[in-house]
Amino acid sequence: MKYKDYYEVLGLERSASQDDVKRSYRKLARKYHPDVSKHADAEDRFKELGEAYEVLKDPEKRAAYDRMGSDWRNGQEFQPPPNWDEGFEFSGAGNEAGEHADFHDIFEKMFGGARGARGAHPRQRPFDARGEDHHAKVLIDLEDAYRGAQRAISLQMPVVDPQGHVSLETRTLNVTIPKGIRAGQHLRLSGQGAAGATPETAGDLYLEIAFREHPRFHVDGRDVSLDLPVAPWEAALGAQVTVPTPDGSVEMTVPAGSAGGRRLRLKGKGIPANPPGDLYVILNIVLPPADSDAAKAAYDAMRQAFNFDPRAHFYR
Amino acid sequence: MIIVKETTTTTYLQGQIVDENVEFTLVELSRVSGASEEELTLWVAEGVFEPKGERPQEWRFSGAALRRVQTAQRLAHDFQINAPGVALALDLLDEIDLLRSHVKRVRRT
Repeated sequence: MKYKDYYEVLGLERSASQDDVKRSYRKLARKYHPDVSKHADAEDRFKELGEAYEVLKDPEKRAAYDRMGSDWRNGQEFQPPPNWDEGFEFSGAGNEAGEHADFHDIFEKMFGGARGARGAHPRQRPFDARGEDHHAKVLIDLEDAYRGAQRAISLQMPVVDPQGHVSLETRTLNVTIPKGIRAGQHLRLSGQGAAGATPETAGDLYLEIAFREHPRFHVDGRDVSLDLPVAPWEAALGAQVTVPTPDGSVEMTVPAGSAGGRRLRLKGKGIPANPPGDLYVILNIVLPPADSDAAKAAYDAMRQAFNFDPRAHFYR
Repeated sequence: MIIVKETTTTTYLQGQIVDENVEFTLVELSRVSGASEEELTLWVAEGVFEPKGERPQEWRFSGAALRRVQTAQRLAHDFQINAPGVALALDLLDEIDLLRSHVKRVRRT
């Protein structure tokens, strides 16, 4: 197991007061909360912060953690000294937080495991025999939303054994991705959540959909956009061009006299939701290189043909 | 010679998109989102969510609101934000999303 410096995670000195711990956690949690932050590693950072705070905010756990000494470095191989927890009485049951899954090894080993998964809501419902609903995020390709698809999706779930140890269990589900689904929407799979008292009362599984980054297409709600390179003469004189869409190609007219950056709308060629979105084609004028005598002559002919000063408006 | 032909068929689960066509009652939304009924009621009073129906027992929430409800639930729990704070945070997040998509669009052109 690797040592984890909880003080470093929270940006604190070992002498920090309990108020410092709280203040620092709050500040960093706001910065890295996955609902707020766009940092790529926000989710991991937030979990790490939660784990560090869980230990340092509690004077008993903090004292136990401190007793391991301060000479360890982050990530160093580490075994807690034998009986490190001797003489410590933990007043809490150790699972009052009930929301941070995937705790780091060191945390599991020292402070016990039994914590519910974030997203599953362990609540007392004595009269409700229905199983809990489960939630997971899945990444799909934009093409799948255009055509619909059948995909095998692997989900990892923390499972608590009778001794209270947590392990990750992988479960693979074959799921039909319905045509027209959008990022941020949920797909509900009935009866795929936690088991209930009877098979009919099993909870549901909610898959929150997100798209993988696409090298060509950008998605905004149900609309999709695409940069389309065009030659200067295509933009100036108009042209008939073939435009790729996530579901095959379409023919499109570039109107004569188009400027670079012009947005052309292909109605209904966005995500085929109800109503369907649009596909926006953004013209990107690409200049051919002047790398031959003929090309240079052509540019020179242009220079002579136009009385054109691109900076004309600069000095007026 | 006997040819044994093995066939395996994979069944694919059919899900339902939780969109405007899906409605949740207060009790259902509480179960799905993990937010308590009291919290949801406070958020409705703040105008964060606008269910159809008059009284809480008659409320029907649009499935399209699920993601926002979950964000509200996480913000409320992780930061101990009260209902007006959640309302403000969600409005600001919406605005940030909008601005980010504008920025992306402008950068690409």
